[in-house]
Amino acid sequence: MRTAFRSVTGLVTALVILAGSWTPALAQEWTVGASISLTGTYAKPGKYTQEGYLLCEKDINDKGGLLGRKIRFVVYDDKSDPPTAIKLYEKLITEDKVDLVMGPYSSPVTNAASTVSEKYKKLMMASLAATTSIWERGFKYLFMTISPAEVYLEGLVDLAVERGLKTVAVINEDTLFSKAAAKGTIELAKKKGMQVVFHEAYPKGTTDFSALLIKIKSLNPDVIAAGSYFDDAVATTRQMKELDVNPKMYGVTVGGDLPEFYKLLGKTAEYVYGSSQWEKGLPYPGIKEFVTNYEKMWNREPVYHSAAAYGACQVYAEAIKRAGSLDSDKLRAELLKIKMKTIFGDYQVDERGFQVAHKMVLHQWQDAKKVTVWPAAVSEGKPLYPTPPWQRR
Amino acid sequence: MTARAGVLAFLLVAVAGLAVVPLFASGYHVTFIIQVFMWMALAGSWNLISGFTGYVSFGHVAFFGVGAYTGALLITKAGWHWLPAGVAGAAPAAALALVIGYPCLRLKGPYFAIAMLGLNEVVRALVSYFEGFTGGGSGLSLPPILSIAPVYYAMGGTAAAVTLLTYRIITSQFGLRLLSIREDEVAAEVMGINTARLKLYAFLLSAAFPGIVGGFYAWYASHVEPLSVFPLLTTITMIIMCLFGGKGTVFGPVLGAGLLSVFQELVWARFLFVHQAIFGALIVGVVLLIPRGILGVLQQRYQLPRSI
Repeated sequence: MRTAFRSVTGLVTALVILAGSWTPALAQEWTVGASISLTGTYAKPGKYTQEGYLLCEKDINDKGGLLGRKIRFVVYDDKSDPPTAIKLYEKLITEDKVDLVMGPYSSPVTNAASTVSEKYKKLMMASLAATTSIWERGFKYLFMTISPAEVYLEGLVDLAVERGLKTVAVINEDTLFSKAAAKGTIELAKKKGMQVVFHEAYPKGTTDFSALLIKIKSLNPDVIAAGSYFDDAVATTRQMKELDVNPKMYGVTVGGDLPEFYKLLGKTAEYVYGSSQWEKGLPYPGIKEFVTNYEKMWNREPVYHSAAAYGACQVYAEAIKRAGSLDSDKLRAELLKIKMKTIFGDYQVDERGFQVAHKMVLHQWQDAKKVTVWPAAVSEGKPLYPTPPWQRR
Repeated sequence: MTARAGVLAFLLVAVAGLAVVPLFASGYHVTFIIQVFMWMALAGSWNLISGFTGYVSFGHVAFFGVGAYTGALLITKAGWHWLPAGVAGAAPAAALALVIGYPCLRLKGPYFAIAMLGLNEVVRALVSYFEGFTGGGSGLSLPPILSIAPVYYAMGGTAAAVTLLTYRIITSQFGLRLLSIREDEVAAEVMGINTARLKLYAFLLSAAFPGIVGGFYAWYASHVEPLSVFPLLTTITMIIMCLFGGKGTVFGPVLGAGLLSVFQELVWARFLFVHQAIFGALIVGVVLLIPRGILGVLQQRYQLPRSI
C-alpha cells in the first residue's frame, strides 16, 4: 500500500512538473499555430515541414521580428490524421488563441484543417497542399504555396513534345494527389497533341506491377508517366527493367527526387526523370543562405518540403509587413496582390488563393547525380536522350 | 437512497453537465468530447456482438466506413441535411451485417473473426473500385461545417442510445440468452435457444450504430476517403476500449472510451514518440492483470448489480 502511495505521489509530482514546464504564450510575441504530422504516415515529410517553419521563425526573429514583436511557432502533432488536425486547430485558435495559423502537411490534412480556420476567419497560409479541389470550395482565407498536382509532369510532356514523341502511357496510385497528377498529365499531353494510349490506376500498397507493365509493353509507348509516391516509383522502375519495358522517356512524380531513390536502385535509376517542387541548386534569391542555415540548424540537407514551409512563411511575413496588421481581411487583400520570389520560387495566386506562378522543375538521374533539365531557364544540363534499351545500359 | 437511485441521479447530473458543455467550453474541448462520444458509441456497438456473445468481430470498422460513405453520398449527391443523412448510415451497415452475418455467424471459433477481417478489406476495395460513384482513392469532399455543437449533440445522442440499448438488452431475456451463448453455446442450443438467430439480431444492432457514427463522422471531418474511414486501427481501438472498461457490461465501453481517450490525450501531448509504447504497455497490463476490465473487477469485488 505504501509503495503504491509513493508511486502515485511520484506520478502526480511528475505530471505537475510537466504541466508547469508548459509555459503559456508571452504577450510580447506573435504566436503562429500549426499542426504537423510528426508521427504516422506523413512523419518524414512532416518533420521537414516543421524544420522549415522553425528556421523561418529564427530568421525572422534575428532580423527583429514582425511589427515590432518576435514570433513563436506553436506546433502540435496531428498523427497524419485529418480529424485530429481539426481538433488541434480548434485548440490553437480557441484555447491557445494564436495570432496566425499556417498549414499542416499534405492535402487530406489541409483539407480538413482549413474548415476550422475558415470558420474562425483565420487566414491559413497552406504550405504543403497541392490538390486543386481544396481551392474549389470557395474559401476566403486559404492560400496556396506549391504547384498543383496537375502540373507535376508538365516538364516531361514538354520535353517529349520537343523531341517529336507521339504516344504516352500513364499509370498512377489511386490516391488524391497521384490521381490529380495523372489527370493533369493526360490533359497536358492531349493539349499538346500527344496520344494517351494507356491509363490505369493501382491501389495504394501495390508492390507487383508486372500485369500493368506487360500491358504497357505490348503498346510500346514513347513515354511512360507515373503518378507515384516513393515505394511504388522504386518498384515500377525495377520491374520495368526486369520485364524489359523500353520507353524513350520515363518519369515519376514523387519519389524520384529523393536521394534514397538512387541509393535503392543504383544504375537502374539512370535516365529516369523525376519532378520536384524545388532543388537546392536553383537560382532563387537567398537560397544559398537558406541551405547553409538549414544545414547548420538541423544537420541535414533541406528538401522541397522544408523550402516550401520556409517560402510560405516568407510570403506570410511579407504580407504582414505590407498590411501593417494581423487582421485577416487586410492580410487577404495583400496576399491576393503580392507577386514575389522567395527561396522557394515564385508566388502569385488567383482570386481563389490558388497558386499560379510557382514552377515545377524536372530532373534526370545522370551518373548518380540529379541534373535539372527543365525548364530551360534554370536547367543545369541537357537531358540524355533517348533512353537506351535496358540491355545496352 | 438506494444504490439504484444514486446511480440514476449521478447519470442525470452527468448528462445534464455534458449537455451544457458546448455553451461555454472552447472549440477544442467540444471537438475532444465529440471524439470521446464517437469512441463510446463504437466501443458500445462492438460490445453488443462481441462482448455479449463472445464472437469477436475484427471488421467492425467496415460498418463505420459504409455509414460514412452513405452519409457523404447523401449529403453531396442527394443534397440531404446531415442529420438524416448520418442516421441513414445505419441502413446499409445493417444490410451488410445481414449479408455477412447470416452465413458467417454459423461459423464457430476464430473463423468469424477472420471473415470479418476480410470483409473490411473487401468493402474498402469495392469503394475504391467504383470511382464514378465514390470518388475512388480521392474520396468525397463535403461542405465545411460552420458549427460543431449540433454534431456534438448528435454524436452524444448516439452514444447515449447505444448505452441505453445495452442496458435494455442486459436486463432482458434476450441478453441472458446472448450471455449463455458466450459461456457455452452448445449448452445454450440444448436448452432450446435459437443461437444463430439471436446472434444475428445482436450483430444487426451492433452494426447499425457504427453506421450512424460513420455518417456523422463524414459530416464532421468534411472529407471521406477509403484510407481514412476503413483503418484496421479503428476496430482495434474499439476492442481495446471495450475490454478495458469491461466487456458484456453496460458502462464498460463508456468508461473504457472515456478513460483511454483522456489518457491518450494527456500522454500523447507530453510524450510524442513514446506515447504509443506507453499505451501499448497499458493494454498489455490490463489484459494480463484485469482481463474482465475495470467494471468487471468492480462488479466482482463489490458485488454490484450486473446491470451496470
